[in-house]
Formats: sequence, structure tokens, C-alpha cells
Amino acid sequence: MKLQIKRLISQIILFFSANLGYPGYPGLKTGFCFPFFYCQACPAATSACPIRSLEHSVSQGSFTWRLFLFPLLIIGFLGMLTGRAVCSWACPIGFLQRGTGRIARKVKKLPIARKLGTHKAEKYFRYTKYGLLIGLVFVTSYLIGFIFTDICPVGFLTGTIPVLILNPGKFVPNYFFPVALVIVVLFLVLIFLVERGWCRYFCPVGALLGPFNKISFLHISVNKERCVHCNVCAYECPMGIDVPNMHRDPECILCGKCVIACPEELITFERRGR
Amino acid sequence: MNKFVVLQVCALVLISGALGGILVFTPVYDEVRSGIVLVLCLSCLKLEPKSITDFTFVTANNQDHPEFVLENLSHGVVFLHYSGDSCAGCDTMYPVIKELFSIDFGKQDMFHTRVTFENSTIGYIYVNIHHTIHELRDAQPIYDKDHFSGIPMFTIVTLGYDNGNVKPKYTTLYGTLTTYGCSTDAERVVFLQELIRESIVMYNQNKAGYPQN
Repeated sequence: MKLQIKRLISQIILFFSANLGYPGYPGLKTGFCFPFFYCQACPAATSACPIRSLEHSVSQGSFTWRLFLFPLLIIGFLGMLTGRAVCSWACPIGFLQRGTGRIARKVKKLPIARKLGTHKAEKYFRYTKYGLLIGLVFVTSYLIGFIFTDICPVGFLTGTIPVLILNPGKFVPNYFFPVALVIVVLFLVLIFLVERGWCRYFCPVGALLGPFNKISFLHISVNKERCVHCNVCAYECPMGIDVPNMHRDPECILCGKCVIACPEELITFERRGR
Repeated sequence: MNKFVVLQVCALVLISGALGGILVFTPVYDEVRSGIVLVLCLSCLKLEPKSITDFTFVTANNQDHPEFVLENLSHGVVFLHYSGDSCAGCDTMYPVIKELFSIDFGKQDMFHTRVTFENSTIGYIYVNIHHTIHELRDAQPIYDKDHFSGIPMFTIVTLGYDNGNVKPKYTTLYGTLTTYGCSTDAERVVFLQELIRESIVMYNQNKAGYPQN
């Protein structure tokens, strides 16, 4: 079976696995945290959002070490085994971006997009997600309250919208709603304009998983000695990584597109070692 | 085996061990399930629920009223207040309730008191869903009348007459009460006062048929 078909099947299965919590269908609500970004407010969600648990752990000057360590250990366990593969093989938001990727790929060919995509500031912009993780998830939760939760586009998309659809007329928007609506529109614009735009620049769960690429068992290996730098792999990479020069890049989501694209078959999945 | 693989194996063993340990030796699984997955912060959903204030005999999940409510009900109307940490709606309602009953308590406390409201006794029970015991937390779905599974949530339990029997009758309100036309703290207090008065009238009409402790 082709790799990308396997990945599609994995994404579909894990999407349904994440949504077994709807009362009666079968109503499975666990006390685990998702290892990816998904909102526990989704009426069918089986587990908790790891970001929500982290926010709770440092809520308003408190520190609950259990709620802090628990999501980190779940993410760390999967991160150690597969690095950031969770983003491309399991995450429902990754799955959504797989769908919007075709349009983003067409946009990428536009001269302005090409110019912005290759701008030297682009690689620094990727650090935004680490800033979001520290600033909005930890610092504001500790000092003020759940700012990230209040504006989270993933929560709006997978929590608020399904709740509104399933309970027509039973809710009215509160004061955070307009702000969150603007952010979710920007989120949608982003993922249609930039392939994996959310994963690249803003996903705080990706920021937690990324560093594990450096030490994970599963990783992508490039045979640099034989590489002819045709850059087909870099063009195919949905994360916009310079694949020929990559070594355990924290941005790599192990989707395997470069593995398939390489005409010389010099890029492979490796299970251990450097 | 090279050093890097040893490092990988050690890190994996360490993380697996810590994850297993935290699951086995701490209540984190239950905390996440009951505090984050099962009960939602409604203000975090960016929504205010619309529900009617009608009193009903039928519990939300068809379970019996919990013992601590029945025990308090023999003394007067019971007011259950479900709240949580870092929930903007809960923070809005917290001072409203303190003003309503002229009481003072910490947001993270387990708090139970009997207050006098216009010469009637009210059993006030405050439940912070993130700092409470099973018995109180498990009562939340019993009174989740409109199945919103969200906080803040307020339940007023009184007595009603049903086919020859006096039974507990309750209503549940959610959110910051804006859907009931309350946009200020003063309006929220007045709204709750009227509802409590209504429940006291029902209680007084039916208390003769309810066993007193």
C-alpha cells in the first residue's frame, strides 16, 4: 500500500478515535490528554486538550504538577517514539490542512507567495509557536487567566461550532465570541494560503512535539553524500523545509512526501540512531 | 550500541516510567476526566446557554437526588453552586452569589453553609469542580437539566407536589444569566432573589409532607 494512502487511513481512524465521546455513540470519555490539538469541548471528544491541561496546571498563580506533567509525558512518550509524526499521521487539524493543502500549493506558485515564502524572516517567524506556548499558554494563564482558550481557533472550530450545530437555538454568543470568530477566519485564511500554515507558525502542540525530533527513534534521514540537490523533496515538503540540508529538523512532521518524491531514493525513514 | 541509542532508550524508559507512575500513583486521570473532559467552562466555549427556569421533578440523568441534597432539603431550600478554576463566567458569578447570601468564602474552597434569606433557611453548597470530592462532583450531571455539561451552573432544589407525593423539585441555571436579561451584577442578584422567593413559596407549601430530620 502506498505511504500516503496509509497516512490517510491513519488520519481517518484517529479522527474517529478522537470522536468516540458523543453520548451513546458510544460515549467514551477518558481522562487522557490528546497528543495533538483537539478541543475537549467538542461534543464527541474522548479526551482532554493538552493545552487546556497545561493552562489548568498554572492557573492564576497556582501550580498543579500532575496536570503539568501528564500532557507533557503523553506528548513526550509519542514524541520519543515518532517525533512530530503525530502532526501528520494523527492530528485532526493536520488532517484538515491536508485538505486545504492543494489550494495552498496553488497559491504557493504566485510570485508574491514565493517571495514571502523565501524571505529570510520566514524561518524566524516559525518561532512564533514557541512564543505562543510560553506567552499565551503559560504566562497569561499564570498571571491573568485562560487567554489562549478564549481565542483558540481550534477550540472554536472543533468545540464551539459543533456545539452550536448540535444545539440549535440553545446558546447565544458571549463577549469572547466576536474576537474568536475573527481569529478562526484568519486561521482558515492562513491554512488556505500557506500549506500547513498553522503547524508551521502557530501550533503550540507542535512546539511541544518539535524538539523531540532531535532524539526520536523514528526520523527522516537524507543521504547527503549522494544527494544531487534537485530540490524536488523541498518543493514537495508541506512544511517548507530545506530537506537536502535537513538533519532531525524540529519542523519535520514525518509525512513521508520527500521520501516518495526523491528520484534517487536517498531519503528514508530511519528507526534508530542519528 | 552507540551512545545516542543509549540516550534514546534511557529517555524513553524515563518518560514511560514517569507516565505509568503518574497514572498509577496520582489521581490525575480522574482529575482530567471529571474536571476538564466531562464538565466544560461555558465561557471558554464563547457561548451563553439559553434555558428556561421552570422547576422539574425529573433529574437530568434519571438518578436519585444525592443524599447530601436530601439531608439539606429537610431544613430548607438547597442552592447548589457549581464553579471552576479559570472560568471567566464563574469569576463573574462568584461575587454575585457572595452578595446574594451575604457570605464570604474562597473560590477554591469546598463551602457549605446555611444562610437566612428573608426569614427562610437556605442550604448553600459551593462546589468548585476542580477542588472537590466525588460525591459533590458526581451530583453535577444529576442536575444538569439541559445537558450543557458546563459551569457556572446553579441549581435550586425545593419541594413540589406530584401525584399525591411531596418530592424534590429543582431548576438549573447556567452561565452568567445574560440570556435571562441580566447584564449587571445588580440585575443578576435581583433575578436570583426572585427565583429563590418562588422556590421558598413552593417549599413552604409542601414541607408538611416532607420528612424532617
